[in-house]
Amino acid sequence: MAITILPPVVEDLGPYQADSDSDDSMSDISDSDVDMDSASRPQKRARTVSKKLGDGVVIPGQVVTDDPQWMRGHGTYINPLSTSIIATVAGNVEKTNKLLSVRPLRARYNPEIGDLVVGRIVEVQSKRWKVDIAAPLLAQLPLSAINLPGGILRRRTSTDELQIRTFFSEGDLVIAEVQSVHQDGSASLHTRSLEYGKLRNGVFLAVTGTGGSKAGSSSKGGSKSSSAVPGAIPGIGGVVRSRRQRWSLIAENGGGEIDVVLGVNGYIFISKHVDNAAAMTNTDSVSHNRMEELVSSTIYSSQNDEIPMQTRREIARLSQSIQVLVQHGVRVDEDTVTKAYRASLQVDIEMGDDDEEEDEGREYLEGSKARQIIEIVLHGK
Amino acid sequence: MNDRRRVNGPAEGTRRPVFACHVDTASAPTRPQRQREPKAFRKIALETGLTRSASGSSYIEVQPSPPPASYNSLIPHSSSLKLACSVHGPKPLPRSAAFSPNLVLTTHVKYATFATRKRRAHVRDASERDLGVHLETALRGAIIADRWPKSGIDVTVTILEAEDDRWWADAPDSHDASWGMMNVLAGCITAASAALADAHIDCLDLVTGGMAALVSDDENPDAPPKLVLDVDPSEHRSIVAACVVGYMPGRDEITQLWLKGDSSNAVLEDGDKRTVHEALIDGAVTAAKSVHAVLAEVVRESILAAGQ
Amino acid sequence: MSSQRQASSAAQVPHLSPAELSYLYTSLALPQNPIRPDGRSPTQFRPLSAESNILPGTNGSARIGFADGTQAIVGVKAEVERTVLISDTLDVDQDAETVEGAEESASAATGGHGSWVQMSIEIPGFRDDDALPVFLAEMLRESLVGSVGGNEDNGERHMAGGLKGRLVINKRWHWRLYIDVLLLSQPLSYPLPLLSLTTHLALLSTKLPKLKSTGEEDPFFDDDWAAAEYLYPRSSTINSNPSQQVRPPVTLLVISVGENVIFDPSREEIAVADAVLAISFTRNSDSDTGTDEPLKLLLTQRGIANSETENGNGPDSAAAAEEETPGVWRPRRGGIKRSVLAEMMKTALKKGGVGEEVLAGLEGVEVA
Repeated sequence: MAITILPPVVEDLGPYQADSDSDDSMSDISDSDVDMDSASRPQKRARTVSKKLGDGVVIPGQVVTDDPQWMRGHGTYINPLSTSIIATVAGNVEKTNKLLSVRPLRARYNPEIGDLVVGRIVEVQSKRWKVDIAAPLLAQLPLSAINLPGGILRRRTSTDELQIRTFFSEGDLVIAEVQSVHQDGSASLHTRSLEYGKLRNGVFLAVTGTGGSKAGSSSKGGSKSSSAVPGAIPGIGGVVRSRRQRWSLIAENGGGEIDVVLGVNGYIFISKHVDNAAAMTNTDSVSHNRMEELVSSTIYSSQNDEIPMQTRREIARLSQSIQVLVQHGVRVDEDTVTKAYRASLQVDIEMGDDDEEEDEGREYLEGSKARQIIEIVLHGK
Repeated sequence: MNDRRRVNGPAEGTRRPVFACHVDTASAPTRPQRQREPKAFRKIALETGLTRSASGSSYIEVQPSPPPASYNSLIPHSSSLKLACSVHGPKPLPRSAAFSPNLVLTTHVKYATFATRKRRAHVRDASERDLGVHLETALRGAIIADRWPKSGIDVTVTILEAEDDRWWADAPDSHDASWGMMNVLAGCITAASAALADAHIDCLDLVTGGMAALVSDDENPDAPPKLVLDVDPSEHRSIVAACVVGYMPGRDEITQLWLKGDSSNAVLEDGDKRTVHEALIDGAVTAAKSVHAVLAEVVRESILAAGQ
Repeated sequence: MSSQRQASSAAQVPHLSPAELSYLYTSLALPQNPIRPDGRSPTQFRPLSAESNILPGTNGSARIGFADGTQAIVGVKAEVERTVLISDTLDVDQDAETVEGAEESASAATGGHGSWVQMSIEIPGFRDDDALPVFLAEMLRESLVGSVGGNEDNGERHMAGGLKGRLVINKRWHWRLYIDVLLLSQPLSYPLPLLSLTTHLALLSTKLPKLKSTGEEDPFFDDDWAAAEYLYPRSSTINSNPSQQVRPPVTLLVISVGENVIFDPSREEIAVADAVLAISFTRNSDSDTGTDEPLKLLLTQRGIANSETENGNGPDSAAAAEEETPGVWRPRRGGIKRSVLAEMMKTALKKGGVGEEVLAGLEGVEVA
């Protein structure tokens, strides 16, 4: 069947809180709602919150605490002449020593120094590029912050400025590191490492990167959503900062080695693994300097290598697996991606036993397949 | 909300005069009949380089079908397509525009207000935009855009006289699809191609427009419709389906295709294995090929003239 | 004009890199078995959720949502309007009953007029006189009114003259149909299929009040909504062949990459396509002709998505040597061969092909 048409899904939000562990706080709040005694109400709510401080969900305008011992952090404000800290975003209350901040449930990416990001060049200026990294402001990549061809420590010349488009031009994808964050929140990137530079040989994928939500928050069970997968909360998935943002894995079905780059900003690139350095060092005669030169001359090429069909297939499967994770609100990191990928293979084999004739679009993961994958990823079934 | 800055008067303010001879049944005009063979074309006059200020220009005119034997009305019996095309550029893109490694092509098609029997508005309407998009598609495939980075080119077509959508004396509802527009588009493509050649823009091939249609017979409406090339809509009671292509003969490739109408009832000649729409496309391609002969000759002549 | 261009470019998503385009193109062009980035088969559509009759204030309505979150809502409203016949032609025809004019004016009054169907498309981020909404509306409307056909066999009521004919009440009055399409978010891919499918569903659910007057008198209608009749008649008997019913047309987007024909392309796939074709078709209600084609073609347009195909950034050095280097993306030049074109149409229209499945799928949507 070429087309699948589903009835509309009614998002049933009713039982979301009912069986969660925050039952008592719910009853407290509803008590205070019933209780129309205006004098006692603010106090009561404040007390409620401060009692539950740290693991509650607050909404904008809600008093987080009126205890003056706390310091105001991100996502909160203090009215003048008062000591109560009020939330400005909806999210989880977080405490760092005496600093109180509210971390939004779903945030846009805010660059921090040292982040590994994937970005797309949107504008070329005379001495720098403007890069889209899914942050509120475009990041900048100065010409002086890239590896210029012909030696890693060469000074930038006016010739380089003239041929700035030969390094990166509009639309190119780069992998870079956040070097500094300016006052206004915009980032400055650098690619001064052989690890960084232009991306090719693969596919790009943008997921709602949060860079914010703590790894633990999404895997905690207890919610019921329309996807009916326990443990998955819609809207909380995404890439988080983790130990390894970039790794390669050996694909099944003869796919060879595949590189995955999870940009902290939610931009993901999946490509065939190309071992530049290994290829170079095979020939012992080339000196170290020469190697640098060779690497940097290929680093700005837009030319793809020969990519076998099997690898392409597995790359597509991998990107689908990540999509599934994101759609079901599971955080994306090395562990979950690998699990989801293995799970999709496993599900496929099971499906293949069920019906043989359904050979078309086997790689398309949706509906029941996606649910099974999530089950396996979260619970190891 | 067409134009936020002006209040435009009603576009349709005029009404055609009614002459006494219409009411007189004896001398009432009759529908012109197609005298050409189904595969014969009207004559085309094409000339380039008429607009000196433009970097390239062309003018195309299609000979009107001959009038019926005893035609004495003041109203012209049929219209003939006349359109002028000018090409401006390549010129630098405005500073505000984004960087483009290719030639940026913009096309405008505008009917002169007097181009049709019913007066047209000054502001570009939906059908003119529609034609512009089609023309752009047709030309984009032929232009080698990466030869002219960071520059733009404007192709402007002014339709001085448009093809009728129907015979002028017909009730306005009898052909309600705007079949004349398809002829106009074919003319626009050919003219723009000539103007581009005149402006010395690199092209893969001279792209030409061709039109074919399935018409049902006037005498017996029940007979299956037949394929006719280069159709003058006023000569036919009903057009079942029509097709315009932008075609590059040198590469045997189609850059633009517009096929509309309901061709399900049509039956091709015996032994013809093609589907009806394939036959229509082939017909339009045949038309485009013969227009190409004219176009190539004109472009060659203009070079010779410039060399002297 | 420049402001216009800005408006539409604001709605555009940034360019793809040459390496991405090249990877995508070579994946899609793999002979026999293209690999789409989302793993679909060439003829597979993205799953969509659909419902109809959602707006009580309209004669018919529908909503379709794609899995990527783009949604469209269509409302259809019908109004009664007096049929205006242009006096000069009418006078002639009434006086001259012997000449063919009389017959023609009659056919005009029964045949309906294309301008009785009005279509407007609202896309966020576009002004309503931008090229894209205008072009899309024109294309959808053209295929709607272009469908003539339907015949009166089997004693069943069919729509002579297609949709236009259905709108005629009598010689002096007719229905005017307003089809308003609303896209709820900026489109992530070329929105044509979404809009067309939603319009199809909305028209299927559209009902017109039952006419109580007869003949040429001024029309008055039954105020019982339950007695209202469908704009596109449904069969009274349950197991009559659905393929004989007149249905609103559906427009699909088909692209060709290399030898492959691919349906329901995403934005990235359109960017590397050799050719983009919009195909409008509907059920062929002439059952007696016994053709192989259960569907009839109404409208085909090539290369409609030009704003997207403009995309290709040239290779690093545009002025470099002409020869094609494998692995480097080079924007597509030229047109397509006729054989490819024919193949694209055949895949969509053949018996048991994609077109039939789409129509059958839409048929299955419950009309509440």
